[in-house]
Amino acid sequence: MPAILRAEGLSKRFGGLKANDNVSIALEQGSILGLIGPNGAGKSTCFAMLAGSLPPTSGRIFIGEREITGLPAFQIARAGVVRTHQIVRPFANLTLFENCAVAAVQSSGLAHEEARALARETLEFVGLANRRREYPAGLTLASRKRLEMARGLSCKPKVLLLDEVIAGVNPAEAREMVTLIRRIRDERGVSILMTEHVMAAVMSLCEHVTVLDAGKLIASGTPQEVVANPEVIAAYLGKKHA
Amino acid sequence: MERFVELLIAAILLAGLYATMAYGLGLIYGVLRIVNLNHGGIIMAGAYAGWWMHSQLGIDPYLSLVPVAAAGFVLGMVIYLLLVKRLPRGAAGGVQSLLLLFGVWLVLRNVAYLMFSGNDQTLRTSYATRALDVHGVLISVNRLAVFGVALLILAFLHLLLTRTYLGKAIRAVAQNPDSCTLVGIPVERIYALTFGLGTALAAAAGLLGAALVPFSPSFGASELLKSFVVVVLGGLGSVAGTALAALILALVEVFAILVLPAYLTAAVGFVLLVLVLVLRPGGLFGQRVLG
Amino acid sequence: MKLRWPTWVRPRAAIGLLVVCAALAMGPLLHDNIYWHNQLTLTFLGIAAALAWNWLGGYLGQVSFGHAAMFGVGGFAAAQAQIHLHVPMVPAWIAGGVLAGLFALIWGHPTLRLRGPYFSIATIGVGEATRLVCTYWDAFTGGSSGLSLPMQQNLKHQLYWYGIALAAVALAGSYALRRSPLGLSLLAIKSDVDAAGDVGVSSTRLQDLVLFLSGGMIGICGGFYASYFSYIEPGNMFGFDRSISWVLTGVIGGIGTIAGPAFGAVVFVLLQQSLIASYPQLYLGLYGMLLVLVILFEPLGLTGLALRVLHRARPDLSVTGVAGED
Repeated sequence: MPAILRAEGLSKRFGGLKANDNVSIALEQGSILGLIGPNGAGKSTCFAMLAGSLPPTSGRIFIGEREITGLPAFQIARAGVVRTHQIVRPFANLTLFENCAVAAVQSSGLAHEEARALARETLEFVGLANRRREYPAGLTLASRKRLEMARGLSCKPKVLLLDEVIAGVNPAEAREMVTLIRRIRDERGVSILMTEHVMAAVMSLCEHVTVLDAGKLIASGTPQEVVANPEVIAAYLGKKHA
Repeated sequence: MERFVELLIAAILLAGLYATMAYGLGLIYGVLRIVNLNHGGIIMAGAYAGWWMHSQLGIDPYLSLVPVAAAGFVLGMVIYLLLVKRLPRGAAGGVQSLLLLFGVWLVLRNVAYLMFSGNDQTLRTSYATRALDVHGVLISVNRLAVFGVALLILAFLHLLLTRTYLGKAIRAVAQNPDSCTLVGIPVERIYALTFGLGTALAAAAGLLGAALVPFSPSFGASELLKSFVVVVLGGLGSVAGTALAALILALVEVFAILVLPAYLTAAVGFVLLVLVLVLRPGGLFGQRVLG
Repeated sequence: MKLRWPTWVRPRAAIGLLVVCAALAMGPLLHDNIYWHNQLTLTFLGIAAALAWNWLGGYLGQVSFGHAAMFGVGGFAAAQAQIHLHVPMVPAWIAGGVLAGLFALIWGHPTLRLRGPYFSIATIGVGEATRLVCTYWDAFTGGSSGLSLPMQQNLKHQLYWYGIALAAVALAGSYALRRSPLGLSLLAIKSDVDAAGDVGVSSTRLQDLVLFLSGGMIGICGGFYASYFSYIEPGNMFGFDRSISWVLTGVIGGIGTIAGPAFGAVVFVLLQQSLIASYPQLYLGLYGMLLVLVILFEPLGLTGLALRVLHRARPDLSVTGVAGED
């Protein structure tokens, strides 16, 4: 199957520091890809470039056949690549419904009334429909993360980029989140790329995993392959343990 | 040639005043992350205080510097404790504290207008018009005195911030208030003291400014903007950085007279402000000014 | 032919506005108090300007202390058009407005990358720099002697009805900018400009639009002002105090609300009138105190107070009143 999101030779330089060095990623349509690596590996930078939050120093990004390298974030969102945020960023002055409505109206490509219907529907999908007239301030962290996902889904994306959505919630909520992510892929046909620290989630969700270390891509494969890869082990635990 | 040296010296002397003015603004911003839009009002109040003490009590402005600064300190603490403290800290409070302090400025302006009328005042001492002749170059005694006092104030500030416990506590709070709470530094008290200190500096700078230029209740607006230019250019780290930025601003202003017609030189400061804000990356002290 | 409203327009609001305008328009038939006739004209102007300021300051949350720059540009451009090019009054106002809007774009577009207090400080600089440059730009503003417009019989009196139209247009614009889908995007930008971009809001373009509309409308107000007084000079048109007055009317009336600044403008004029006899220079200080009180206790100003009272009667009243209700 063709890759729906493709990055070739992504590099990012901050002054003298090379945060990402020649990273290539391929997200297959209808699959879930994990982007992992130890702290400081450059995951967030890579993620930000894919989402359009950061322009790459070099390299190219494609959604399907269309190149989206260096486009402003809003155009990338409208092109079908939508991100959530590691530290949730709901629109505090809008209700839950309004949060999703603005996304739907701007990015889904639907007419106004259908967009609003979509917003209602995504809130239902994540289980927040009964709170749609409340403001984000009254929500728990887990609910706010679900709001971010609903808002992202309201853009009618082809690809959803999840930024450490599992981290920071309790185990019960984490399990629900995993189920939700799987449902997003299965029921909505959205391809997912997720960066994550919680390994259990990565192992159970991702068909494919890409590992970064010190800005470079060091491994790529199924979760089982990657976990057994001596370079990956060395990156996480130090060379002695490889 | 003489003219050039005169202008250069004038710029250096002016820079001392600008640095003192700017430090008051920068200190409050660096520690509390608040833009003190009342800065201009305090400068104006300091000018009037010095003028009043000179014209009513006959006290030389350089002698009344300490009481005026002390009064400014108290006023600053009162403003913080009564008003500013009630606002949310950080991004949420940004525009709100701006507007709040702006309201205080308006009140101060009105009070000054009621007490002293809207006319321009000048602070003229007996030695104000004298000038030193150094190798054919004329240096105003007044400006030299202002510069000298400014240097003293900045030196005092530097020592305070680097050698005393209070100074170190202030710098610690500027870097990481949450960690400070953990090690027992009374953060709220530091906030109040810093606001007082910043206000005192502005009051002192106002008094010094009164010795140089005529002032009225509207005094302070352009001084506020110039302080902002210096703070953004020089960063908040060191007295030296502030001094350098103040020197750059003074040089640009003074030498603009050579290049631009007189009426535009006043606009130079404002244009510089906008340019500096928009073009300077990274912003103040690592804190992002953009977004 | 059946009129079709966009879905976000509540017919009651449109009809209400028309009724109020009609009532005001017929008012002069019932009295011949010249003083209040003219006061109302200036009030309508104040309402329009306050509302225009609010589009940038309230809807986008970028408080401008330099809006007088556009007021002056619009005013002098309109005056020049009428004096030298013999353009009729209203087209001259519009030309002035367009010029003012473009000017706002020129300085505003790069400056809007700054957030919150830094943008505000920059606007002080822009306002003052514009004032200084224009004060001495003789060709445009006539220098400190200013410009005189050709006197027209009865114009001041006529401007009452133009004023109603101006205020009504500003009010309709405020309503549209808030309640249309655009309003939702503006609120999102105000809340978190980057996250707004992440969900597809073209933040930069929308900010530019608001800059142009806000600056342009204020520019038209400048033209109106010039026509009313037949004489304008830069110190007055571009003055910092003038910029401040819109900050005050906006915040005290209710920053970010649809009509709050209009109330602020009305109160402002009333206060000025009642104080001007007894304590002429008090109102700035009074407003300063009101500002402090509003910031500390009632962020939505007079509108907030009114809503609190109304909430007791009707708890379901929405504060944002945005297109997002479902």
